[in-house]
Amino acid sequence: MNDAIRRAATNARIALTEEEVERFSKQAEDILKAFAGLKSLDTRGEEPSIQPIPCENVMREDLPRECLTQEDALSNTPHKKDGYFKGPRVM
Amino acid sequence: MTVAQSLLEKTKQALEQAKRIDQHYHYFNTFCDDLALQQTGKPGILADVFVTIKDNICVKNVETTAGSAILRGYKPPFHATAVERLLQAGAIPLGKTAMDEFGFGSYNTNVGKGFRVPKHPSSPEYVTGGSSGGAAGIAAKATFPHVALCESTGGSIVAPASFCGVIGYCPTYGRVSRYGLLDYASSLDKIGVIGKDLILMAKTMNIIAGHDPHDSTSSTRPVQNYPAAIGATIKGVNIGYIPAFFDGADPEVARECRHALKQLEAKGATLQAIDLPLTQQHSLSAYYLLAMSEASTNLAKYCGIRYGGTDKLEGYFDQFFTHIRTGLLGDEAKRRIILGTFARMAGYRDAYYLQAAKVRTKIIEEYKRAFADVDVIATPTMPFPAPKLADVNKLSPLQNYLADVNTVGPNLAGLPHMTVPVGSAKMMPVGLMLTSSWFDETILFTLASHVEAR
Amino acid sequence: MAIKIGLEVHIPLKTTTKLFCGCPTTPSSAPNTQTCPTCIGLPGAKPVLNKKAVELALKIGLALQCDIAERFRFSRKTYFYPDLAKNYQITQYEVPLGANGKLGLSNGKTVAISRIHLEEDPGSLEHKENYCLIDYNRSGIPLVELVTAPILDSPEEARDFMKQLVNVLSYLNVYDENIGHLKADANVSIAEKNYTRVEVKNITGFKEIERALTYEIDRQKRHDVVRETRGWDAVKGVTVSLRSKEYEEDYGYILDPDLPTISLERQFIIETGKTIPELPRQKAERWVRAHKIDPVDAAVIATDRDLAGVYEHIVTKVDPVIAARWFRKDVIRALEGKPAARLNPASVRELLELVQRHKITDAVAREILDLLVKKDFSPKEHVTKQGLGAISDETHLQKLVEEAVASNPQAVADYRAGELKALNAIVGHVMKQTKGKATPDAVKRLVEEALAS
Repeated sequence: MNDAIRRAATNARIALTEEEVERFSKQAEDILKAFAGLKSLDTRGEEPSIQPIPCENVMREDLPRECLTQEDALSNTPHKKDGYFKGPRVM
Repeated sequence: MTVAQSLLEKTKQALEQAKRIDQHYHYFNTFCDDLALQQTGKPGILADVFVTIKDNICVKNVETTAGSAILRGYKPPFHATAVERLLQAGAIPLGKTAMDEFGFGSYNTNVGKGFRVPKHPSSPEYVTGGSSGGAAGIAAKATFPHVALCESTGGSIVAPASFCGVIGYCPTYGRVSRYGLLDYASSLDKIGVIGKDLILMAKTMNIIAGHDPHDSTSSTRPVQNYPAAIGATIKGVNIGYIPAFFDGADPEVARECRHALKQLEAKGATLQAIDLPLTQQHSLSAYYLLAMSEASTNLAKYCGIRYGGTDKLEGYFDQFFTHIRTGLLGDEAKRRIILGTFARMAGYRDAYYLQAAKVRTKIIEEYKRAFADVDVIATPTMPFPAPKLADVNKLSPLQNYLADVNTVGPNLAGLPHMTVPVGSAKMMPVGLMLTSSWFDETILFTLASHVEAR
Repeated sequence: MAIKIGLEVHIPLKTTTKLFCGCPTTPSSAPNTQTCPTCIGLPGAKPVLNKKAVELALKIGLALQCDIAERFRFSRKTYFYPDLAKNYQITQYEVPLGANGKLGLSNGKTVAISRIHLEEDPGSLEHKENYCLIDYNRSGIPLVELVTAPILDSPEEARDFMKQLVNVLSYLNVYDENIGHLKADANVSIAEKNYTRVEVKNITGFKEIERALTYEIDRQKRHDVVRETRGWDAVKGVTVSLRSKEYEEDYGYILDPDLPTISLERQFIIETGKTIPELPRQKAERWVRAHKIDPVDAAVIATDRDLAGVYEHIVTKVDPVIAARWFRKDVIRALEGKPAARLNPASVRELLELVQRHKITDAVAREILDLLVKKDFSPKEHVTKQGLGAISDETHLQKLVEEAVASNPQAVADYRAGELKALNAIVGHVMKQTKGKATPDAVKRLVEEALAS
């Protein structure tokens, strides 16, 4: 479980201390053990319910709507330059 | 004083009261005085009604944090649809109410870094319940006409309402638009209301319910007339109670709930025992696995670039994202994101995520069969009354999750459900939860009005 | 097969608005001016699917002979990158819109298309020293992703696949040509290195496909190969390692609960199929069968939908073989890349009728074509007015020939000395005198006769 937790944490961009890895793994084990009954239920032939109420063919026409102004789009961050968002380096 | 001035005076007094209460009880993250004063005097069905908004629902230009440090300072450039409709109806918003971080909790103790835990309206050492703790608390304490707009994913409306001794209503999934609701789990989140005044709550539902083209999952079904249902007869209404949930509850809680049901029977409803074995045994695990899987994708967007808590841009993007998320997210948020990520990772996805979704199908089928026999399902809302904060702090994460055992069923299936105060246990409020079939909502208001009228 | 190449092509769709919101798709120079809460990933915003995008994607699927899914859904592909507004991309994973399609190459090979699906484009990134600049104007643009089986066996085939694909897409009028060339990622492996697969990303256009793959295959032959992702640097002409594929980013796909299941009615699929025009390959094959024209001419002309239309109008009156020759070379040349839609088919037909009846010479016809591309007029009237009719009256020509022979004594001497090419100078003299109107064949014959004596 420790390895799985580490992988999941890395995947989710969350750094865990070793102590946290231990603690989270133990908690995860407890939780998954409590949920074990679910795994052994026979669900062959069942469709997964992605929503509780079927939602079909909801679409919109290809018509334009008002956009945010550049100012509004950038209003919630200090990281901006010349109308662009500034992000951390990628290369 | 002119009418306008006296209305403004009322608003100022309501704000003052709310702030006074907040000083002791910590029900608010933000107040929106300007908006409140602006709205005062506007005509509409909800004119003169004060509303509070759970802090995961967007109010334009008002700080909206979902109770998390990773959204500190975020001011949405748009209103949630539900908020837009409230404002158009003349409602006066006072502020954003406290909650567990992103909705991740049943006791409102999992607040984000730097946020405060709200206190029970009767006894400050006790918890309000969560995740709509602030909403339930202010609903209990406020003496002005008030409805709290709030949200439920696994029980976050009825749990705190039950603990705090107020009415909590969670409509069918899709009844109220989720546009502008900060997502915890997209297939489980529902906006609803908490309050003391059933009529006001019914009027509010009429305003916020209804199709929204901005939300693909919002229902096109016509909205029922909630206020008209209040006081209607309950003769012949068939109530199915689940003995297992009564037996599994604190005996005083069970007693109060049974008593309330007996009184409804006296007024013409019929009672019968029913059994929902799949729901009883597996709804908790199916709920948590699905909710965490979805939440881990919904929370991926919080990374310090476009909004919210941030730091100086240093390091490669992965390092920066990790730094921001690790530093600003609380423990429970991290746990759920990590577990949710795990549940959908290659190799685990079939056994956990997909399996949970399939079990959900079975649970929905089980409910359908139940509603062929009964109109409404009844259980205690929570198995116990509000606990002390000190006791909650001793609980493991799993023990926290177990508090939801009564409420996850209807939430998972997207069923409308309401909690009504029916007495007390150990001097703390007890709530009875009534669940009806999809979109058959007004019957709950009818029943609630009869419970109130005992 | 010593080389295995598979392509993943991203086709931007010609819709007015983005895939999940009403922001416009037209390019804008000002960054972050075409965004909304949905495509910029603001908390609480929700996606709503663009019907037009589904229709266009369906058209592509049908044109490529895919099996169309009766019911399909969208999925969330979660990964972290600054250009991804929600840090997940809405795409299709479990059930794509179309599968098991095919597209023929000009060498006759049929390329299997594994799947086509709809997905949203991320925003655009500009790399700087210590940071990047992000523009979300393109975030949410609708794309069809097309994946081929790894069945292409050379860079040339890959290039041809892209060309054939672009032909089909322009016929369907589904693809936003303003965006420029199609972007593709390629998976390439070679037998000598045990088919260890390398993904090469970020290749734009069919010329670059061939360049990138040629480079990469050569690199794989000469160096060790590990499973990895590389980027194509078109400026330097090399592929560069991006990240090792040992740690595979786990996208943790879930079905998107914000979006509906789409179930396309059979009738709707059939109706859409009817709107698909005859595609280039079929068209060319039909012309070869019916008109007996050269297959290469046919393929070239059929590539351009508008040009093909003009051609089909003309062959009702003009000999197809003549028409095909003219279209393949001179009409295309005269257009110089401008759209064939600017040509009036009736005028072009009139012109080629004149050619067919030898009323004007080829040289004159070419000049008139150049003018027709710029402005429409009646070639017949123009010829009459300008006196451009071909001079084939041999008596008249004879005189001109005699005069030309007399004026070019050196050329005559050279010709008689055995330098046959010297004839051209004399023929050229006559052509110049007649401003190109003399029929070259007749002139040549007359000059030869004159010099034989």
